[in-house]
Amino acid sequence: MARLIRTEKEVEGRYEEVWIVVDEDALEQWPAGARDVVGQPATRMDGLERARGEAVFTADLKLPGMLHAAVLRSPYAHARVTHIDLAPALASPGVYAAIGPKDIPQLGEECGFQGAPVAAVCADTYAQACAAVEAIAIEWEQLEVLLDPDEAIARGEQLDEPRVRARGDYERGLAEADIVVEGEFRTQVVLHNSMETHQAVVQWVGNTLEVYISTQYIWGIRDEVARGIGMAPDKVRVVCHYMGGGFGSKNSPDDYTFVAIELATRTHRPVRCALTRREENLVTGNRNATIQRLTIGAKNDGTLTALGGDFVNAVGWGGWSAPTEGPMQLLYACPNVKTTTWAAKINQPPMKAFRAPGFVEGTFGIESLLDELAVKLDLDPLELRRKNYAHSDAADERPFSSKSLMECYRRAGPHWERRHEVRSRSTDTVKRGVGMASQIWYGGGGPPSYAWIRVGSDGRATVVTAMQDIGTGTKTAMAQIAAEELGIPLEHVTVSLGDSARGPFASISAGSSTTPSMGPAVRAAAADAKRQIIEIAAQRYHLEERVLDIKGGIVSSHDGNLSAPLEEVIGLLEDAQILGKGARGPNPTGMQVLTFGVQVAEVAVDIETGEIWVERVAAVHDVGRVINPLGASSQIEGGIIQGIGHTLSEERLHDPTTGQILTTSLDAYKLPTIADVPEIISELVDEPDEHLTNLGSKGLGEPPIVPTAAAIANAIRDATGADVRRLPISREEMLRALREADERARDKEKRGAPAGV
Amino acid sequence: MELRQASSVTDLDGGTPLHGGTEVVPLLRAGILKADVLVDVRKVVPRGIDGTRIGAGTTLAELEVDSQIPEALREACRLAASPQLRNMGSLGGNLLQATRCWYWRLKWPCRLHGGNECFARDGEHREHAIFANDFCASAHPSDIAAALLALGATIITSARELPLAKLYRLPTEDDRRTTTLAPGELILHVECPQPEASTYLKAMERKRWAFPIVGVAAARTGGETRIALAGVAPIPWLLDGSLDDATPLPRNAYKVDVAKALVKRAETALNSS
Repeated sequence: MARLIRTEKEVEGRYEEVWIVVDEDALEQWPAGARDVVGQPATRMDGLERARGEAVFTADLKLPGMLHAAVLRSPYAHARVTHIDLAPALASPGVYAAIGPKDIPQLGEECGFQGAPVAAVCADTYAQACAAVEAIAIEWEQLEVLLDPDEAIARGEQLDEPRVRARGDYERGLAEADIVVEGEFRTQVVLHNSMETHQAVVQWVGNTLEVYISTQYIWGIRDEVARGIGMAPDKVRVVCHYMGGGFGSKNSPDDYTFVAIELATRTHRPVRCALTRREENLVTGNRNATIQRLTIGAKNDGTLTALGGDFVNAVGWGGWSAPTEGPMQLLYACPNVKTTTWAAKINQPPMKAFRAPGFVEGTFGIESLLDELAVKLDLDPLELRRKNYAHSDAADERPFSSKSLMECYRRAGPHWERRHEVRSRSTDTVKRGVGMASQIWYGGGGPPSYAWIRVGSDGRATVVTAMQDIGTGTKTAMAQIAAEELGIPLEHVTVSLGDSARGPFASISAGSSTTPSMGPAVRAAAADAKRQIIEIAAQRYHLEERVLDIKGGIVSSHDGNLSAPLEEVIGLLEDAQILGKGARGPNPTGMQVLTFGVQVAEVAVDIETGEIWVERVAAVHDVGRVINPLGASSQIEGGIIQGIGHTLSEERLHDPTTGQILTTSLDAYKLPTIADVPEIISELVDEPDEHLTNLGSKGLGEPPIVPTAAAIANAIRDATGADVRRLPISREEMLRALREADERARDKEKRGAPAGV
Repeated sequence: MELRQASSVTDLDGGTPLHGGTEVVPLLRAGILKADVLVDVRKVVPRGIDGTRIGAGTTLAELEVDSQIPEALREACRLAASPQLRNMGSLGGNLLQATRCWYWRLKWPCRLHGGNECFARDGEHREHAIFANDFCASAHPSDIAAALLALGATIITSARELPLAKLYRLPTEDDRRTTTLAPGELILHVECPQPEASTYLKAMERKRWAFPIVGVAAARTGGETRIALAGVAPIPWLLDGSLDDATPLPRNAYKVDVAKALVKRAETALNSS
């Protein structure tokens, strides 16, 4: 029977109530530990296609008669179009159509950031479209540019009301403290820089609009496009079979999709609107800069009595205020916490979600300051964290559905113990040290999500669901879950995804949610199919259903009366198919579903040149049951590498007067290279969350990037005594922090010296 | 745009010479370099290493592995760019590469582009010059040029022979160019004497594939040590005084500290070899 229920849905810390329909979900979780297929390392089922260049990404699409769009963008951080004439563009060679600010709402005359779209042209070639954009006659009035986030807050230029979250009595907590540490931390703007730039190819087929797009959310695109142009959602077909990365920046259709739609509508031709790398680094979102003014109060034994923070999110011209205060609120069992989070509206391109938005930045702040406290109290940082361990979510007064952070700490022990040996390898100029930081983040996924499964008389199964694989390998994980439940080899399962016209509704791939949202639906669908196969076998062989099972592709009965390959058992069906369907059930009511972990970083610092080497990072995470250990280790490695870029080299820079962006190319914006990648050790606790779905699995896309910056910063302190307070830790910041530590040491010496000496 | 093959080193006829293309092509695409005709000079510019004489068409990849090449130059090549770029980029082209100043690369109307202002001086200049940065604060990006400057190399062009130092000039109000090469003049050879000892040290914001924050080349020839720096001035910079004479801007004083540390280390390395 279908059940209608109201439940809570969380994506990246934002909650909403949703109605969902679920089937009775009677499946028990599998026992903990690796099984025949689930929990076994599996290479990506589409790895070869990708490596051989056979996988067709949106960027590879060439539809017959396809035109190419180029977009006129504001060169200024704040300006108004006073005059625009598209006629010269329309008269340019190869041009079919041109649209401006009056034509679609996504194009505008008032531009609050450099790169804001104003007009667009489509032509036979992209070069012709660019030439036509150049030909557009346009005049601007430049407006005052506001860039300083603190000034924006002071002037009331805020995108949102300040978010105040408090528990206990913060002031009293401070008064009770034996020691108070404070610090101002700053994080920079970093860019997603997906390998595949943002792009869409659209075409009309009859009265259906086909949208081929590099996206993290096929169904969100369908709904937003349908709403945007006033169509029935089912007349919009959204396709994304392969994705070249998103990291949170590809949840929406954005202006480029609507540009392509309008131009396709006008020209009756397919239109491609693909951003260049430079446009990508300008307008496709970013992890916004933050300023974090933090205070920790503690007893001499390390017990936290008060945590306070004023967080300024320099959001940009649009976007939302990410939960930068989240780690301070959630990580520790402190009774008195008060945070205020501000959303500064400045003339910079809008932020977008970026791999654990807010928590990456906030973890750098709180976990760095916590280690400063540990130094002052002469406590072991790992012990300090254990001492303040949160056994429930004190912010929301809810129990955790599961939490194995203590086990992560235990397993981190041997890595943490290395610090004595690592430090001992320091020289006069190169200091070595070890640092750690904890990770907390969401990642429980949620309903609704659906999957179908089709088993042919050849015993082969196809999972059908209109989800997308953002590149994390979830396609393979779904096949593993289906194979495990059906009891057939992994090679006998294929997965059909990426097309809203060819499968049921599926989750967004954001908030580390694809596996925990989709996996239970796939398992339920496979269980439905398996039940039918057993019923068929029971009838065919006159056996009781309860004695039958399928394992390794063999249908057998416990009493030994039957042992036959699946294709033999259902072979008589010929072209008939067994169809299973499954739905994602709700998350546990009244519980907080979170992911946890710890990372231990080893660094070397050249104290004369400020050069930093991250030599080793050990990561231990708790995301419930692990479906594919190989895919999981890839996620951890990728997260740490992206985290190292965030920590050491990446920064989007703008001119301080005009606000214009200076780092639009990849030689100016420094992503880490393979030479920057340390030895990475990844471990997973792999303990199913007994309250969460029929799998007990949480997501792992985001957790590994969360603690990396703080772990590195803390290792730098361990090595050198310097407190870095700003990301990225450039040579400039490293040398500044070293100088400050030097002065502090000299001061101390002076004060400590007996008078008259 | 037309592409044709050069038949001789004097056969440019107003066209823009193209060798590896790692610099010319991005500049053309950015619209900074304008050209109606590109002249492929790969067949006419000498390539290869013969003792101290290096063909200007020799790639950085070839230089970095050749034992005849002094350590400073080999190391400068090895630490430059990426393997892909070093496979394409030529020695002559590297010496002529333009600054990475973001304002210049983004076509701000700066002094180097003929305008009246250096935007970096009052703007974002953390990667910019700490010497000779009054008029234009751009930093010269060539590791190789600094190495050759320390090594005391000579350039042989299609028209003349000159010390490497004379290839470069600081931009002035009247003449914004940073090299003395005449239109149509091609670098053909680099004569690079063997030093008694040499080294190149480089600081970057990541481990590979980054232009120098500071590059320090040191070479001892005939008992005399010369030190040259990359990334610290609008042209490759021969250090003939003290680093205390640097004139850093508010956000790039750290470069002086980095340079001091690397110079000290380079000198130590020479003295111990």
